[in-house]
Amino acid sequence: MIARIFALLVLAAAVFPVSAQLPDGEQLPEETQIPDETQLPDGLEIMRQVEEYQRATSDSAFNRMQLSTCRFGISENRITCAERPRVKALESVGKNYGPEGLDSRSVTIVLEPADERGIGLLSYVYDDAARQNESWIYLSALGRVKRIASGNSDEESEAASLFGSEFTTEDMDTGKLEQYEINVLEETVEGGREVWVIELIPNEERARETRYGRIVNYIDKERYVGLRSDMYDHYGNAVKRMLASRVELIDDVWMARSATMMNLVTNRLSNMAILEIYTGIDVEDEVLTQRTLTDAAFRETQLQSIRSQVE
Amino acid sequence: MDNLLLGLSEFFERLPNRVLGARNFVLTGVVVITVLMLYGAITRTELDLSTDAYLDQTDPAIEALDEYRRQFGSDDSVLLIYRALDGDVFSRESLTAVQQLTDDLRNWQDLDPADYPSEISGVAVDFNELNHIRRVQSVANVRFQRNEGDTLLSLRLVPAELPESEEELTLIKTRALARDDLVGMMYSANAEYGMIMIQTDFGMQPVENYTPAVDSPDVALDASFDFSADGFLELDFDEQAEIAEVDFEPVDVFSYTTFHVASTALWEKYDDQLDYYPVGTPPTMGFMQGVLDQLAVLGVLMVLIFVILLWILFRSFSAVLWPIVTIALSVAWTWGVTVWLGITVSTFISLTVLLVFAVGIADCVHVMNAYFSYRREGEEHYRAISRSFGRTGLALLVTTLTTSAGVLALTTSELLPMQVFGFMSAAGVMLAFFFTVILLPILLDIWHPGFPGHEKLSIPDRLARIWNGLRRNRKITLVVIFAVLLYVSFGFALGAYILFISMLTYAVVNWHQQILRVVPYIVARRPWQILTVFAGIFGLCVYGATRVEIDTNISELVKEDHPLRRAYEVVDENMAGSQSMVIVIDTNVDEGMLDPPILQAVDDLQGRILETQSEHLTRTHSLVNVVKDINEVMNDGDPAFYRVPETRQMVSQLLYLFNSANPEDRRALVSDDYSKAQVTLNIRNSSTNEYQGFFDEIGEEIDASFAHLRDDYPDLEVTLTGSMALLWRMSDEISKSQVESFAIALAVISVMLIVTLGSLQGGLIAMIPNLIPAFLGFGLMGLFGIPLDTDTLLIAPVIIGIAVDDTIHFMTHYRVQLIKTGSISESLRLTIRHVGQAVMFTTMVLGLGFMLLSFSDYLGMARMGFFGSLAIIMALACDLFLIPAMIMIFKPTFGVKNADKRISFTESPA
Repeated sequence: MIARIFALLVLAAAVFPVSAQLPDGEQLPEETQIPDETQLPDGLEIMRQVEEYQRATSDSAFNRMQLSTCRFGISENRITCAERPRVKALESVGKNYGPEGLDSRSVTIVLEPADERGIGLLSYVYDDAARQNESWIYLSALGRVKRIASGNSDEESEAASLFGSEFTTEDMDTGKLEQYEINVLEETVEGGREVWVIELIPNEERARETRYGRIVNYIDKERYVGLRSDMYDHYGNAVKRMLASRVELIDDVWMARSATMMNLVTNRLSNMAILEIYTGIDVEDEVLTQRTLTDAAFRETQLQSIRSQVE
Repeated sequence: MDNLLLGLSEFFERLPNRVLGARNFVLTGVVVITVLMLYGAITRTELDLSTDAYLDQTDPAIEALDEYRRQFGSDDSVLLIYRALDGDVFSRESLTAVQQLTDDLRNWQDLDPADYPSEISGVAVDFNELNHIRRVQSVANVRFQRNEGDTLLSLRLVPAELPESEEELTLIKTRALARDDLVGMMYSANAEYGMIMIQTDFGMQPVENYTPAVDSPDVALDASFDFSADGFLELDFDEQAEIAEVDFEPVDVFSYTTFHVASTALWEKYDDQLDYYPVGTPPTMGFMQGVLDQLAVLGVLMVLIFVILLWILFRSFSAVLWPIVTIALSVAWTWGVTVWLGITVSTFISLTVLLVFAVGIADCVHVMNAYFSYRREGEEHYRAISRSFGRTGLALLVTTLTTSAGVLALTTSELLPMQVFGFMSAAGVMLAFFFTVILLPILLDIWHPGFPGHEKLSIPDRLARIWNGLRRNRKITLVVIFAVLLYVSFGFALGAYILFISMLTYAVVNWHQQILRVVPYIVARRPWQILTVFAGIFGLCVYGATRVEIDTNISELVKEDHPLRRAYEVVDENMAGSQSMVIVIDTNVDEGMLDPPILQAVDDLQGRILETQSEHLTRTHSLVNVVKDINEVMNDGDPAFYRVPETRQMVSQLLYLFNSANPEDRRALVSDDYSKAQVTLNIRNSSTNEYQGFFDEIGEEIDASFAHLRDDYPDLEVTLTGSMALLWRMSDEISKSQVESFAIALAVISVMLIVTLGSLQGGLIAMIPNLIPAFLGFGLMGLFGIPLDTDTLLIAPVIIGIAVDDTIHFMTHYRVQLIKTGSISESLRLTIRHVGQAVMFTTMVLGLGFMLLSFSDYLGMARMGFFGSLAIIMALACDLFLIPAMIMIFKPTFGVKNADKRISFTESPA
């Protein structure tokens, strides 16, 4: 059990912070080449483009997000929570390191619920495969930091949930596109936007690692944002669906600030809302150390300073 | 009443001529409707072979199971227990084998099917079936946590690369055996046995073509998901929103089997290092498949015995062909009517077929026996048909009504498949009667012995002539050769059985007329002694029946040396036990399970029951174990912290870690709102009766552990449940409903006999010979201490229905003869002569046929075969000896006035 906790924490470090900034020299999505109307474009190219923006993390980012999870139902044709959702509020700060900015450090703090307030996670992710990633967990009730090390980091590739939500680490994964057969199925309209419907089928090697036998993405043709994803299991049953909303232009990149993952088997959904997102902030190296976890006063001062930068 | 019975007899006598007159109409009608029925049976049959088909799907127990699956996932795992052939699961060789096997199971896609057998025991190995595997856990990939300074280490118990030195290997073993949480789960305390747990997704697949409600084009996300710009999100919620529950595809037996076969192919590769004892639903269902295959073979043999016996007894192949046509049509129509009514068929269909088969054979044998004896007496064909129906028609009607009433009594059961079985069987029995009186006359007219051009001797006749021409020592030599051949080809038991049938058949074929002739004289000499003997048998049976225990023990349903039984024993003796139950704690308070006093109470309960129930209970596991475990690990591995923390905040934070890693594991222990949790109990397999005390005592411990929390948690509910509890409830339900329907059936049959036989006295006299076979099986089981399991109990009414038929034929015929002749002696003599032979033949065919089932590996089936055939044979003894004795002693006149009551069997026949 605890082995899986470690696996998660290591992976979680790679996921947070979720932020986006247009990398230098990139063009705006609007100006990317529009495919020939009569011929469907190359799906792999589109997906690469989408991920490019998605991955475009800044050197220095701060965000506040909220994860709400509930059992859902349908009321007057609206998908809605059927019970009071359980809410987790998180704050995270991240910064890239290394000569090419390929390593990263991040710290994530739980704000809510009250019982979990102050739980912190510090992660160092190294691009060099030979160097093991490092994680520290801080439980405020215990008042102690623990370094977490996995004896063999190569294994336990099972997808773990993000903070107990319906999102798994696999859903947040980027890259690995070459391990899929990618087909553009059609061009249609989703949520009032023109989209490409793109199907991803894992190859044999990838199929071993994923719970999904097929993923169908609805990509906004103009903004290169995924508006909807349908996930099917290996038997072809629809098991999960992701719906994006509140697509906004943030620092010149379109992004969905509200993503809702529905588990169609258990009828549970999780909504990940990026309440605040700021990029290009000055983050002191000291913030990305254990001190932020343990020293509440230091943490508050630092976060205050970051907030003052963005206001 | 007398006139009615005579009238009915005359009606049946006239019926064949009318039917023959409408021959083309009847045949065309039968063919057309049969085609329709077969079409329905082929295209519309919905077979529900799932294990929970027993109960109505709206039954609370089933709903709870569905809810459990939605919350906690599939509970169908394979527990692959292995024994290291070198005696040590931690030896280099054993570890290597388990590592490779674990890897094979996890990464089966990489294996080349060409390296494996293409089929195992007749079932094709299909690697795609392994897609059901969700998770594989074994000593090869299990991890343990170690605390070093401020670092938490998660290490493999057995490193992927085994250490070079033997000392290090020994160290691994020592470390492993010191871990209480793994001993009994992953390996036995003596390190001889290990376990690979293969979790599957059986029962978790949505029904085919399931469309989620959210797929509807008008459905969209609620506006609250687009949070307002002020940087705060609160999702709206509506407790009235309609939640679209997924219905899961019922798992059929065959998919378990194909999965089991495919996984067997993988592990058999390492059988020079490991010995396997698989338990869990897929292997058990694999065994059930084996039982079905074996039953198919036994079924074919049974039909073969029916065919050969009918052929030899009647010495004409028409006596074989027409009953089979009649029975086949009855089964086809029954099946057709059922599916056209849109009813789902369960495994009980096989029982219905068995019953229709038995009843159909009895019906046909009675008619044909009458027909053949009239022909032998020199009657002309049409006259013989007519008279044979006149003689048997009334009794056929009464047996049809009583048997239907018996099976219809099952429809009072609360178990849905039992109700379907009751209706189908009643329909089948009535159809068998219908075809016997409507179709059989026409069939006999199409082909019958003595048909012009077929006057030469039949093959059995010719064989008999050759045999009779042999000298005595030749005969003995041939018998010895036959016996040896039987033993060589079938083994001792089956060989002896076939030899026994052969001898009995030989005796009956040669001497049945002599036997029947002397029977009344034997009875007349000592009627009281005979009555006393049967009264003694009856008394014993009733006494035995009061002692019989209704009890089901899963592992004891198979023979002692069977691998499945051995596997259960190994798991129970060496590992944590092959069964499990759950205690559900529902605080009915949001986040109630985060409250330390509640967790402490659960901890106390687990400790208490482990101590007091050590006989059955081997291990408990709950949220509390997880909390204590993480508490210890987070406190530098200090064992003093292996306890429930004092504050709610601490509990919450420790569980935060747990939930983040894998909410599936967390959901298996506690609900999303933390109001409800469960304690899993690992228990040793035992019989349902032995669990009775266990259930009660656990209930008491629950009360003791939670009593002090009642004030703070007034709505707290703590209940013991799980699949074992479900089985227990089902077995209870089956016993109750069977005992009830058994009583109803007896009452209905009694009333019908009283009405048919025209007097209370006659009815009672007829009931006693029926009660002896009915109670015989139960009585013997009680006397020999064989528990009556639910399967045997299910089949009991069927057997009893078959056994009483002959008695009813006997009594009905006797009454009609009494009305006709007015003489008790004459009626008895005629009845034994007319009906005795038919009763003897049906007993031979059915009794010996059913006895074949006692060779089944499945004891539920074997017992019913054995005791069923004993009941049928006992019914014959009652008909030939007890009924005549009672008639001679009590001289019942069945309401016939001025009957001649003199008994004239004082001297032996010449």
